[in-house]
Amino acid sequence: MTQATLPRKSRFRTGLTQWLNALPFVAVGLVGVLVFVVYPMIQNVKVSFQEFNILPGQNSPWVGWDNYRSVFDDPNDKFMIALKNTFLNVAVTVPINWFLAVFFAVVINTRFVKMKVAFRTLYYLPIVTSWIVVALLFKYLFADGSGGFVNYVLLNVGILSEPIAWKSHYWSAMIMIWLFHIWKTVGWGIVIYLAALQGIPRDLYEAADMDGASATGKFFRVTLPMLRPITVFVLINLVNGAFGFFPQVYFITAGGPMNQTQVIPSLIYMEAFKHFHFGEAAAMGVMMGLLVFAVTYYQMTKIGKQRLF
Amino acid sequence: MKKSLSVVLAFALTFVLAACGGGNNEGAPSGSASPSKASESSAKPAEKVTIEYWHTYSDSEEKVLLEKIKPKFETEHPNIELKLTRMPYEGLKDQVIAAVAGDAAPDLMRMDIIWVPELASKGALKKLSDLPGFDDVKSAVFDSPMQTNIFKGEYYGVPLNTNTKVAIYNADTLKEAGLDQAPATMDELVQAARNLKSQGKQGIGVSSIGAWGVLPYFWSLGGKVTNDDYTQVDGYLNSPASIEALETIVSWNNEGLVIPALLGGEPGSWDGLKSGQYMMIDDGPWFFSILLGDAENTFNPLDKTVRAQLPAGPGGSISVVGGENLVSFANSKHPEEAWTFMKWMLGKEPQQIMVEAGMVPTNREAAQAIDPGQNPYIGTFIEQLNTALPRTPIPQWGEMETIFNLSLEKAIRGDQTAADALNEAVKQINAILAK
Amino acid sequence: MRTPWMTKLAVYAILVAGALLFVFPFIYMILTSFFTATFSLPRPEEVFSVTPNFINYQVVWGKNHFAQYFGNSMLLTSVAMLGALLVSSLTAYGFARFSFPGKEGVFRLFLLTMMIPSVINIIPQFIIIKNMGLVNTYAGLWLVYIATGVVGNMFFLRGFFESIPRELEESVLIDGGGNWRIYWNIYLPLSLPAMGTLAIFVFQATWEEYFLALTIIKSEALRTLPIAILMFNDKYATNYGQIFAASIIALLPVILIYIAFQKKFVQSGFNEGAVKG
Repeated sequence: MTQATLPRKSRFRTGLTQWLNALPFVAVGLVGVLVFVVYPMIQNVKVSFQEFNILPGQNSPWVGWDNYRSVFDDPNDKFMIALKNTFLNVAVTVPINWFLAVFFAVVINTRFVKMKVAFRTLYYLPIVTSWIVVALLFKYLFADGSGGFVNYVLLNVGILSEPIAWKSHYWSAMIMIWLFHIWKTVGWGIVIYLAALQGIPRDLYEAADMDGASATGKFFRVTLPMLRPITVFVLINLVNGAFGFFPQVYFITAGGPMNQTQVIPSLIYMEAFKHFHFGEAAAMGVMMGLLVFAVTYYQMTKIGKQRLF
Repeated sequence: MKKSLSVVLAFALTFVLAACGGGNNEGAPSGSASPSKASESSAKPAEKVTIEYWHTYSDSEEKVLLEKIKPKFETEHPNIELKLTRMPYEGLKDQVIAAVAGDAAPDLMRMDIIWVPELASKGALKKLSDLPGFDDVKSAVFDSPMQTNIFKGEYYGVPLNTNTKVAIYNADTLKEAGLDQAPATMDELVQAARNLKSQGKQGIGVSSIGAWGVLPYFWSLGGKVTNDDYTQVDGYLNSPASIEALETIVSWNNEGLVIPALLGGEPGSWDGLKSGQYMMIDDGPWFFSILLGDAENTFNPLDKTVRAQLPAGPGGSISVVGGENLVSFANSKHPEEAWTFMKWMLGKEPQQIMVEAGMVPTNREAAQAIDPGQNPYIGTFIEQLNTALPRTPIPQWGEMETIFNLSLEKAIRGDQTAADALNEAVKQINAILAK
Repeated sequence: MRTPWMTKLAVYAILVAGALLFVFPFIYMILTSFFTATFSLPRPEEVFSVTPNFINYQVVWGKNHFAQYFGNSMLLTSVAMLGALLVSSLTAYGFARFSFPGKEGVFRLFLLTMMIPSVINIIPQFIIIKNMGLVNTYAGLWLVYIATGVVGNMFFLRGFFESIPRELEESVLIDGGGNWRIYWNIYLPLSLPAMGTLAIFVFQATWEEYFLALTIIKSEALRTLPIAILMFNDKYATNYGQIFAASIIALLPVILIYIAFQKKFVQSGFNEGAVKG
């Protein structure tokens, strides 16, 4: 950095000038984020060390690490179960979601396919529908007994011999949650990849044609490498989305059966607003945030420098 | 890089501190009127006061509230305007918490009875026991619903309406099971359920896995949750009688006698009852008013069902008390007017009006005055109330219930024996009660 | 091109099957919305043989202040969308085009905030709004919606802005224009696809938000559409026919917005700058 060689005072002055130049544009956004996002977050950290009192004006005594300790001391291991599920959700849904996004985007982008826009619109429909509505719809489709649509189909096709009570067993509930999540969000990846595919310069394919590359050859030699940068962006968002499961669990199983399908955000919500355990909830939030940050930090640093679009 | 980050953080902090600072100063004087309030009251010369009332009444119930209760109260108390706000049931507790924390709670709220001790223990509710006229209100209403408002010996709410669950049978399926009338004992019920088993029908209507669903059977079979003053679980929830009661319920379910709705399965309890697959369910009175009020409905619950007291077991015919209490919040801006409404609302006449909406009154006189010809189903519920128990009315009940529900679910799903599940629940509940 | 018809068939078969998978649940939902008195779930064979009617749609439109809340939501969401687009694009412009000490630090701090579950932020947010005297106003909601959206939106826009070649600015500079003119005449027009995409995201997210809306808005007259839909979900009974009818009505504006903006969809956004990586 050239700045490092400058004398201290003028370096400060340069920095100040730079800030003053940028400030008119970023000020509103910065203040907004500081007040409505960062400040509540700092409050969260504070509450995680307190026995929080919901009444205004009442003081909330400091309790040190007690909240963190009681998160782990829980005889039912709610936090650990939620943590395990959170990672499981990432491990299962991210690859599938990513694969389907690339797959459908490539298929839609096939040169001879007509009505690309229509297909894109249809695939995007779940994205623009509200989570609550889709959750209700899925609960309805996966209803128990032979009257639930999914059971009905599986029974008629002969895959099942008797109806499944989807929400009553751990694995079937998890599968339902995963299907719900993938169905609701895969359209986003498709749209992003479609855009990326359309941005790949034609001449690259033409060059490959001249080399006599086959269709698959072109896919691996041209398409995939060209999609690399956008893939980072997509994966970060998919991972973040999978870590952030909330409506997926809260509106479908509410953590049941026996808290087995709980994930961290839904657990935080229920601990805070159902049981008034604000301290523990905040502690879980802090730990979750640090964890996700650590997991995605490497990609983050890349993102900072990378041109995504 | 590191240095610049700390500069930014310092910068950020200044903003935040400025934000908090401003907040504290403004938040301090608790009596200061918010801008909206100011504009409301400036419209009228002085006295007229608006009190806000949060409720979750359903469509048909809200109609009675809007068309009869509100006008009547406002005519009798011309200086008070009753502002009714219907809240969605989903996420209601979050709304209460946010409102209390932000000093923006309404003056009055109708809430589930089990919330009252918990919110009272957080200091959110106004203490009523020392208000003028409290004793008159207390003596006019039934005792058992009144008890659900106690926290540390003081009252923080008044019972607005009460209810309980009774046994509801599909009249046709009951005949198929070989009975002319509702079974009077648990043994008769089990026998009838066994008769139906071969037809793929279920006879025992334990309707959900939680305390609300299971307790009536648990109690009737002789189980206990706590001692009589709600201070001890050890030796009660895990007593031999309690373990046996839970074991019995587990064995019914394993035998296939219990409706699948118990574990959240389909059909739902009323669907199963309507179709005749379920001989019995248990439920409160609300669905009768929903069905009778729905023009599209073709199932007449009065002709096609038989309502009766829960079948008696070794512990008697014990149901569970439900219902809603009327509370006022600690930082209500108009505590006097709120109390005026509470007293009025618990009087005989308003309570009788709410019977039209399917509410079971808590006012004794109003309950006695119910005309069984006009309200054919309510009598059974009032009778069952004589032997219905409240869920443990202590602030820790919310947490306790979560633990209790989990132990029930583990036992019924077969993850643990009834004895293990209850012993573990006792251990965990003890830890909470000790806090 | 000489693509074998077998391949064509296979590709179309995949596409149609995929589309069906995404669309079918909606069809099932629409069919269910034709059922009246649906406190119980209709069976699949009943669903497929239902006669279309609009009874539930009429009932729903007149119930729970549905029409009024629909209007409220339109106002609330449109302004929130415009505000979010303006503030986010300005911030992203500041981050993309200027360098200042600590920029990446701030950016990373912002990204960290996206990772921490925000479900309990509602209490501090509400208290701030309360202290600003904005409880029961749309202004309060707009503040929170716009501010909390900045981080994600900026994350989305920044890379886009950075791919715009600096050379383009010269024409503005020659004309004597400054940074604002560059933002307005160069960056905004060139990033319309990204802005269009963002508009859809923001519109949809605000349109379905109910938690904050319910907390900040205290009077029934100012409530929004999702709250009306929630009201159909009663404590004791859920009327699926009505809820689905309400949901379909609520879905229409979002689909319209989507169709309006989708021509601008990211597509051309990935210009050569994108793939330099």
